[in-house]
Amino acid sequence: MANIIVENETKQYIVVRLGDEQYGIDIRYIDNIVRMQKITGIPKIQPYFKGIINLRGEIVPVMSICTKMGLSEDELTNDSRIIILKIEEQGLIGIIVDEVKEVVTLSVDEIDKVAHDVKDEKANFINGVGKHDGELISLFDLNSVVSEKEVV
Amino acid sequence: MDVSQYLEIFIDETKEHLQNLSDCIMTLEREPENMDTINEIFRAAHSLKGMAGTMGFKRMQHLTHDMENVFQEVRSGNKSVTSSLVDILFRCLDALDEYLENIQNTSDEGTDDNASIIQELNDILAGDGGADTAEKEAPQEPETLEEDKAAEEAGGLKEDALSQLADQERDAIRDAIESGQHVYGITAVVNEDCMLKAARAFLVFKAVEEFGNILVYKPSAQEVEDENFELEFAFYLATKEPLERAIEAAKGVSEIAEVTGREIRTEDLETKAAPEPEAAQDQKSAGEEPAGEKASEEKAAPPVPVKSEKTAPPAGKKQAANKPVTSRTVRVDIEKLDAVMNQVSELIIAKNSLVSISTTEGTNMQNQTFHEQIEYLERITTDLHESVMKVRMVPIESAVNKFPRMIRDLSKKLDKKMELYMTGEDTELDRTVVDQIGDPLQHLLRNSADHGLESAEIRKERGKPETGMIRLNAFQEGNNVIIEVSDDGGGIDTEAVKEKAIERGIISKEQSETMSQKEIIDLLFLPSFSMAKKITDVSGRGVGLDVVKSNIEALGGDVEVASVIGEGSKFTVRLPLTLAIIQALMVEVREEKYAIALGSIQKIEDISVNEIKYVQAEEVINIRGQVIPLIRLDRILDLEPMEEESENLTVVIVKKGEKLAGLVVDKLIGQQEIVIKPLGKYIDNNKLISGATILGDGEVALILDVNTLM
Repeated sequence: MANIIVENETKQYIVVRLGDEQYGIDIRYIDNIVRMQKITGIPKIQPYFKGIINLRGEIVPVMSICTKMGLSEDELTNDSRIIILKIEEQGLIGIIVDEVKEVVTLSVDEIDKVAHDVKDEKANFINGVGKHDGELISLFDLNSVVSEKEVV
Repeated sequence: MDVSQYLEIFIDETKEHLQNLSDCIMTLEREPENMDTINEIFRAAHSLKGMAGTMGFKRMQHLTHDMENVFQEVRSGNKSVTSSLVDILFRCLDALDEYLENIQNTSDEGTDDNASIIQELNDILAGDGGADTAEKEAPQEPETLEEDKAAEEAGGLKEDALSQLADQERDAIRDAIESGQHVYGITAVVNEDCMLKAARAFLVFKAVEEFGNILVYKPSAQEVEDENFELEFAFYLATKEPLERAIEAAKGVSEIAEVTGREIRTEDLETKAAPEPEAAQDQKSAGEEPAGEKASEEKAAPPVPVKSEKTAPPAGKKQAANKPVTSRTVRVDIEKLDAVMNQVSELIIAKNSLVSISTTEGTNMQNQTFHEQIEYLERITTDLHESVMKVRMVPIESAVNKFPRMIRDLSKKLDKKMELYMTGEDTELDRTVVDQIGDPLQHLLRNSADHGLESAEIRKERGKPETGMIRLNAFQEGNNVIIEVSDDGGGIDTEAVKEKAIERGIISKEQSETMSQKEIIDLLFLPSFSMAKKITDVSGRGVGLDVVKSNIEALGGDVEVASVIGEGSKFTVRLPLTLAIIQALMVEVREEKYAIALGSIQKIEDISVNEIKYVQAEEVINIRGQVIPLIRLDRILDLEPMEEESENLTVVIVKKGEKLAGLVVDKLIGQQEIVIKPLGKYIDNNKLISGATILGDGEVALILDVNTLM
């Protein structure tokens, strides 16, 4: 019983870096983290999709979260990773991040809900801000990250 | 009894029976006198009733029971088959279909009693009920005497029970005896204070049915169910077991006070058998010996030849209905097959990677045997793949066999005479495709019936036979299965289509003038384009050909139309034979690898740039008198243009039906077996790419969809 209560009050996030900012991804949705590999491009698809990769015999689409959020283009370095997300029935999807930093445990009172600000498009993909060691981590709302709506 | 585990079997078998019934009733409509068909229908209805009863679907049981009753009358010649009877029967089938659908969706038959249909069935029965009972009773008088005696001796099987046997019941008993079984007349008496008489009776029935079949219920099963009996009920049981066993079994049920029985001989059934009741009794005592002995004895000395009826129904009808003569098969859940298929796919990918290692590594003696082993492995995986594919293949019959009935109904509804001719129903396709092709085909047939065929008067005017003809023809062609739906109707009026398209704002007047016949016909496949002048419930609701097209495309196929005005039109549906693994040609365009299905490739040509000609500003090439449009893959696929174009181009000539096109590629890699993997739901399908595949070295290659390229 005690465990369940603790689980209800804390959440684990993987902290990743996109450009200069830190983002948190709920660990429950992460299937896998893989190194950057050759992405096979597909003609005439949504611009934020970079293509597909072969993940243990499965075809997984890879999306550039930077392009989708309207940030600068990804700069692929040795630290770049593809985070494979598994969201319910829709199957696997990969998102490109600049660096994977650490896993943090945040309790509910360390997370501030953010109000949706229509003007700030980036905020549409964020559903909270976590405080950890004096730093702020924007927490992704993964459903809107993978949904079809694009920032114009 | 928990029957849910049998639900699937019940659904499958009911479907089979319903289809069988539908086929038979169609035949019956053409040949109302065909005894075999009538018997077949009776049997199917009977099995349905039995199954529905076992599963506890009361309404379904009720309806089939009444159907069976009607057929009993038809079978005994008391009632002839009329077109109104056929109509009612078809409505019964529809109602049963509905029950089945409910059961499939909710495990419950629903609440529709279909009282009106039942009423109509009963009206038919009542029509000449009086006449036939009189007829039946007359010849049975002498027998009653004999039965009386026998009954006394056997210890009280109610005389009126046996004497009231209808002819067909008599036949059923005779057939069972002839097929080497014993038939016992058994009477059971329930305790006076028994609360649930019907339930007790059913327990008795169930107990004895474990080793035999109940041929006749006295009173009828329905009456027993309604507790429409005093303390006594009787039944006739066909079994190979001795009488004691049956009596024991019946007595085993609580609140059953008394069970008596005796064996029925063929002689008992013969109206003229009266002279030798003693003999019958003697044999009866012999019947109480152990079963095996008895059976052999009976075989050695065949029972008294029965010359009663020329149209004796096939022996052992119950057994025949329960165990149709089929090949030895096992029902397998399609999901399990999918799993096997996936594993084969994995195996092929693994094999491909071995092949790619073996061709890239250096050469030494050891490599020789390595190569041989790889080739061996290649052969095995290909064979294995083929076998799994074959297991998944089913004839399209199951998708098309409902069509004759549908055309018959349409013919009545639209008041047009038409006939459906089907060929190639045994053509095989992947199970998943067969399951989904029914609806599009149905649409096409309805389309032909409603829009294609003219009314009888117009047909006469045009000098055509009054009865319109619709053909459904299926056959295999290479890696595809082709299904053609054609009619000899009026054909597609392209002018009318044009006008309509302009009216709807789909095309402009200027556009319409430069469009080819084919392009105009293709307009029909656009969403919300319905040609019917008046809206009927057959077609013309604006959902039509566009849905057909998208359904077929979802299966990886395509559909085309050819039409000659005044002579009819032909819809050609092309479907891939397989969905998961195909042979493909690997090509390279700007460093990227692409796969093209081998089935759609006609040939490969090397041409020089000088040979390219222009027709309406489009690039074409002329190969041995054929003008073929060129498709520059690099442009279509948004790839970087080559810095300088080479003098020679490699062109893969692909075909889609009659049409050809040349795909310009940079390099050919070779033929390979590839496993098709979908791109997933996230990526907007632009349709140029039908999927992806994983190559031996782990790289991903895209599969070009030739049908949309052209």
